[in-house]
Amino acid sequence: MEMNKVIEVKNLVKVYGKRSAAFKALKNIDLDIYEGESVAIIGKSGSGKSTLMHLLALLDKPTSGTIKIEGVDSTKLRARKLNRLRNRSFGFVFQQFFMNPNDTVLENVMLPLKIAGTKRKARRELAKSALKTVGLEERIKFKANDLSGGQKQRVCIARALVNNPSIIFADEPTGNLDSATGDKVIKLLFNANKKGTTLIIVTHDEDLAKLCSRQVRVMDGKIVEDTGAKELKKATRAAAKAAKATKSTKDTKSSTKTAKKGAKA
Amino acid sequence: MGLFEIIKTANHNLFRNKVRTFLTILAIFVGSFTIVLNVAINAGVNSFIDEQTASLGGEDYIMIMAEGSVSTLSTMMGAGNSEPQEYDPNQTMTAFTNEQLEKLKNIDGIDGDTIYAVKQAPVEYITSDKTDKKYTISVGAMPPGDFSIASTAGGLPDNDSDEAQIMLEPGYAEALGFGSDENAIGKTVTLTVLDNVTKQPTSFKAKVVGVQAKGVVAVNGSVISRKLEDDMVEAIYATMLKTQSRDQLFKPYAVQARFDTDKYTEQEIKDHLQENGFYGVTVSDMMGTIRTFFDVIMIVFTIFGGIALLAASIGIVNTLLMSVEERTREIGLDKALGMSSGKIFLEFAVEAIALGFWGSALGVAVAMIIGNIVNVAVHAPGGFLEAFPTFNLFEFTPSNVVPIILVVMFIALLAGTAPAWKAAHKNPIDALRYE
Repeated sequence: MEMNKVIEVKNLVKVYGKRSAAFKALKNIDLDIYEGESVAIIGKSGSGKSTLMHLLALLDKPTSGTIKIEGVDSTKLRARKLNRLRNRSFGFVFQQFFMNPNDTVLENVMLPLKIAGTKRKARRELAKSALKTVGLEERIKFKANDLSGGQKQRVCIARALVNNPSIIFADEPTGNLDSATGDKVIKLLFNANKKGTTLIIVTHDEDLAKLCSRQVRVMDGKIVEDTGAKELKKATRAAAKAAKATKSTKDTKSSTKTAKKGAKA
Repeated sequence: MGLFEIIKTANHNLFRNKVRTFLTILAIFVGSFTIVLNVAINAGVNSFIDEQTASLGGEDYIMIMAEGSVSTLSTMMGAGNSEPQEYDPNQTMTAFTNEQLEKLKNIDGIDGDTIYAVKQAPVEYITSDKTDKKYTISVGAMPPGDFSIASTAGGLPDNDSDEAQIMLEPGYAEALGFGSDENAIGKTVTLTVLDNVTKQPTSFKAKVVGVQAKGVVAVNGSVISRKLEDDMVEAIYATMLKTQSRDQLFKPYAVQARFDTDKYTEQEIKDHLQENGFYGVTVSDMMGTIRTFFDVIMIVFTIFGGIALLAASIGIVNTLLMSVEERTREIGLDKALGMSSGKIFLEFAVEAIALGFWGSALGVAVAMIIGNIVNVAVHAPGGFLEAFPTFNLFEFTPSNVVPIILVVMFIALLAGTAPAWKAAHKNPIDALRYE
């Protein structure tokens, strides 16, 4: 099976503040994320994991470096295309939910479609079916404020799913939930992942991270561990061995080098 | 997200914080209300003044005298602006000569066909068969041209008719025993004149065709048809005509005429006349300082309205800025989910316009209700405009109300620009993290 890169990050740097007050939150990050992966970005608070996610999700601009989304260099995109890319390709789940508390559940779920300019009727249908997926079809007329925390997060997942995104970003999705409701939320996220959506979870919860197919550990603005890179190393080694039999050694060497570089960073 | 959707969302957002929105709308309401009333009273006063101008003869009316008669006649005609005139033995009433009348016809800007002599037809008294009392009255015919005199019933006499007709001054209908102005229409009154020399009375019957409304400027008495005026003049000069020629006797001291208002200003016409030894008095001379007086009052009103509106604009800025602060996270979410800065700007701008619309529409509606109630109240018995039935204090028309709503909406848009800009340019992440 050939793996497509959905996110390709090269030499990513993010600096907050200026001159003497400058703080380097991300230091020359390289990271490739493949279609259908479930990636946990792990790290303590202040490690840079949230910054990394914000940059991957194009919510913030990097100081330098490139982020390619499905092969398109986002740093070269104009605001309009960037907005459209976020609107169509991404789904967001936040720890603090971020809902419009006085709007109904349905209205909250319809928001991305409203922004996309989807027709009213289609919007309702899609939102209803997304709410069905998270088991809240009975609550569509409730005010978002009147829901429990777990229900709120499920509404947020419905909102993230409604535009059928290729990537879902979840920032501490269970951070504000007890373990029982958290499990439900996690199940929903991984269900979406099974159907082919790439899942990127930012968390400090090791148990949650273990559920993901790949763990990326961030510390002091650098990636200190990437299980995907190991997998990749293995895969490239296997490929190299296979190739050795047929092809010249030059190609294999260079590809191993890139893999090593990725692991180091 | 289409424009309709944005307008809907903006209105929806406004009614989310009802108290704040209500207070802002109230502030705009007060401003618009003041301005609407001010504009309406301005329109009311202006149309009343226009009516007065028309009653005095209209914009193109001019009374012309020979230069020598100036002080005498202008004092006679002038309402409000007459200053003490120094005595001048040469300044007496001098009648027009035939040559002067011919010359007048050819003066640039004066319509020669409309020249009509002011005749002297003093009426001794007026009475009717409904009363035993006799009243003094001054009468005169109107010169050619378009005329309208504000009336409470009927209208002006028909100058082309041979029938003797009269439009009474205010108050005469009641005094002559007809009960009301409406009742007087079609009734007959008797006007009696005396022969200049013998004092022999002659009575004329005249049909009442109209009753004038009271105005601020006195119209020259009751208006009679020209035929009646001519007949009365004949009766008054009956004895003198036996010895003197008609030409000699009926030389006018003053003539009325119309001038070309499109080509010349009043002053230019007056200058033309002066060059030829004549003196002209226009309606604005007769109106005198009344118009200026009203204009000053209106300027004061407008300033108050403007200040109220300025205060309201600051209210809009305040409301929207608070709204931006309060909804920072929401803006952040909208932006994270791909809403463009332009749409967010538009949403807040539309909110501002909606505030302006609701405030001014409410102001207009309430002003119209109150204005119309006041209009009725001031004309009721005991009201301070009871005597001026045609004076509508507040006049509301689409042309004076709709622009106010539009202007207030525009001011609201200007006031909402800064907060809208602030909202549109928030970084989605900073906005989401906002506590």
